[in-house]
Amino acid sequence: MPVSNTTREENAGFLERDSAIPPQLVISDLFLSFGGIEALSCLDLEIRKGEIFSIIGPNGAGKTCILNCISGLYRPQQGKVLFEGVDITPLEPHKRAALGIGRTFQNIELFKKMTVIDNVMLGRHRFLKSGIFSGGIFFGKTKQEELAQRLRTEEVIDFLEIESIRKKTVGELPYGLQKRVELGRALAMEPEVLLLDEPAAGMNLEETEDIVRFILDVNEEFGTTIVLIEHDLQVVMEISAKVACIDFGFKIAEGTPEVIQKDPKVIKAYLGEE
Amino acid sequence: MKDQTIPKLLRQSAKRHANKVALREKDLGVWQNITWDQYYENVKCFSLGIVSLGLERGDKVSILSENNPEWLYADIGTQSARGVVVGVYPTNVASQVEYILGHSQSKFVVVGDQEQTDKVLEVAERLPGLKKIIVIDMKGLRKYTHPLIVAFKEVLTLGKTVDEGDPGLFDRMVNETDAEDTALMVYTSGTTGKPKGAMISHRNAIASAENFITATPFKERDSVVSYLPLCHIAERSFSVFYPLVVGGITVNFAETIDTVQQNLREIAPTIFFAVPRIWEKMHAGHVMRMRDATWLKRLVDRWCLRIGRACYEKRQENNGISYGWKILYAIAFIIHFHPLQRIWGLNRARNLYTGGAPTPPEVSVFFHGIGLPVRELYGLTECTGICTVHQGEDIRIGTVGQLAPGVELKLGDDGELVFKSEGVFQGYYRNPEATAETIKDGWLYSGDVGRLTEHGHVKVIDRKKDIIITSGGKNISPQEIENEFKASPFIKDAVVVGDGRKYLTALILIEYDNVGKWAEDNHIAYTTFRDLSQKGEIFELISQITKDVNRKFAQVETVKKFTVLDKELDQDDDELTATQKVRRKIIEEKYRDVIAAMYR
Repeated sequence: MPVSNTTREENAGFLERDSAIPPQLVISDLFLSFGGIEALSCLDLEIRKGEIFSIIGPNGAGKTCILNCISGLYRPQQGKVLFEGVDITPLEPHKRAALGIGRTFQNIELFKKMTVIDNVMLGRHRFLKSGIFSGGIFFGKTKQEELAQRLRTEEVIDFLEIESIRKKTVGELPYGLQKRVELGRALAMEPEVLLLDEPAAGMNLEETEDIVRFILDVNEEFGTTIVLIEHDLQVVMEISAKVACIDFGFKIAEGTPEVIQKDPKVIKAYLGEE
Repeated sequence: MKDQTIPKLLRQSAKRHANKVALREKDLGVWQNITWDQYYENVKCFSLGIVSLGLERGDKVSILSENNPEWLYADIGTQSARGVVVGVYPTNVASQVEYILGHSQSKFVVVGDQEQTDKVLEVAERLPGLKKIIVIDMKGLRKYTHPLIVAFKEVLTLGKTVDEGDPGLFDRMVNETDAEDTALMVYTSGTTGKPKGAMISHRNAIASAENFITATPFKERDSVVSYLPLCHIAERSFSVFYPLVVGGITVNFAETIDTVQQNLREIAPTIFFAVPRIWEKMHAGHVMRMRDATWLKRLVDRWCLRIGRACYEKRQENNGISYGWKILYAIAFIIHFHPLQRIWGLNRARNLYTGGAPTPPEVSVFFHGIGLPVRELYGLTECTGICTVHQGEDIRIGTVGQLAPGVELKLGDDGELVFKSEGVFQGYYRNPEATAETIKDGWLYSGDVGRLTEHGHVKVIDRKKDIIITSGGKNISPQEIENEFKASPFIKDAVVVGDGRKYLTALILIEYDNVGKWAEDNHIAYTTFRDLSQKGEIFELISQITKDVNRKFAQVETVKKFTVLDKELDQDDDELTATQKVRRKIIEEKYRDVIAAMYR
């Protein structure tokens, strides 16, 4: 993939140039436990605007917990999540979404009996202004608003090349396409930061290549910051500017893909010790 | 019309129709209209733009893209500057693209999207003549900093500035275009050897279009859907030449390649051309759907089809159809045929064509029966498309119709079809030997063997090279036998072999979807194509079909043994041409052991 090479090099350059700028998303000293089980401890991460940041680690390491803390599904017992300098730790998930934090889930969370368009359109919710009554009458401004939102939805559909299924019910689509629709819903909310939880899980080679291309396109076209959890290490190493490795709730390594690949602690976490 | 050229025709249409819809494209879920004026304006801007980028008379511009309006702007825009357009199949792999760009000495290439751009960039280093890559859809390419890349929109803007500086310039350029200019080159996929670039002039294109339109008249308000590759002479004729020569036909572009079927239904075109593969698929789709239907629906289907077929046969024999039959047919039409036509978006289609390869008669009869009189046509790239077509009411299935007006035919010594018309091309680019073999004294040697029937229809028997002569000395056309196989919904392709052998054998490629469904219905578990194709039950299924096929032929023409291929044939493996025709020689070579085993 010639694309990925360009991206990575440019992203690396981007990092060096802008290291003086404060990061977009900061996680500091995060601590999360369920009863006696510590899911995350003393976790610090800094994610810069416009970069692809990957989180890797063995099963149960706490990767999804991090995303849930960022998007607000979990509330950490300790520590802070800062988004563009503002502490968002006390905010509800929907308020965080309104700030521009979008996400997809590891196990697809779509409305299975609704069409692709309706599902993607749902992502536009934060832009809707009309109230319950004017929405019910569906006249004048409300109608215009709906049309404008539909246009943006169609642009997302065009972007993800899912025109042929736009009127299909999500439940009848193959897994790979459902994942793409979920990405579409996240994109429709025009996020500043996109949290992707294993976007390529369970996909065949071709589907993986497609989704990776879309992730790169989103990153390049809209400058969206991407936080990626992925098990396919080849994908991670090819597209990420920076990678953090988590094991048992601790960050054991962080750096560029080259550094991470050679890190003995990462190798140990993945392969075990001799 | 002697000194007409394609750009001149466009200018004429733009003057005459101005605000009528010329092109329609589905964008963001909504059909967008492009008027003849806008069409002309875009062509003008592209033309002036590419000239200011350095296009000179006779320079080649390749287009590597799915069908869209920009394809046509680039096409006619280039011709207006007296450049030559080379269409490349979007399905071609990088090495094939390299060959065509290199052999045609293309100075510019217009590409559709990132995928196509990557292909060109991969080989750009080895193409020193390439000056610019003009990209239509810049999605995902904004970070590409390659010096060759320029956006299609930028070219248009560039042209617009030139036009504002000298408003009469484009008009003068169009005036200068000459009917004898080479307008386009079509690289024939060729079932053997490297592709050859057939040079076609404006005169060829326009004369051939006029012949065709005289044979099967079009109306100004007709519409077509452009969905087959535009680099092929057939789709180019239907999307560019015919609309311009008739003046006023609307050309519709599908949203993406995956939505063609939905878009067809939305548009319901009045003119529809498809290759046999598509007709076969539609037919097979119906057969498979009926297998799943309730017994009542199946009964109605069988009853209606029988009526349709009977009426078709009566018309063939020139017996009048009695009122009784007419009423029955009307009932069948209302309850079954019309809804069926609507599913395919063919309920408004008046002119229907099949061509590009022989159509299985069984399939043709089916469509005639349900009220879609498909006309088979025969043509070659080298005579700019059309040579023969079924005209008027006189449609004989199994033939390719009467000679189109303006086309002359003689039969060579060995029964080869030899044509003469104004459509006969200028020759192969940089290949005088091949040209000399194909054109002799203005006659075009088609390489196909055929004959004239008593009704004045042309019957094509086979490619001259493909005729099988068995060791018993009997001449057999494999095509005819293969066609009978292909009429079955379970068989995608068949290759009959037997040249110099005692008997005939066949390599069979199953239709994965339909056979897979059959297997599921019969509780046969399978995992992959390979697994499925080698199942004993599938062998039995194909045996049965072979028996049915053999019943239609004489003893020497029967297929004695067959092998089911365990992989799909693929263009990337050179087994199929870009138009999905089987490359017989390559397959026979590749499966030499398999074939030998059938003669042991």
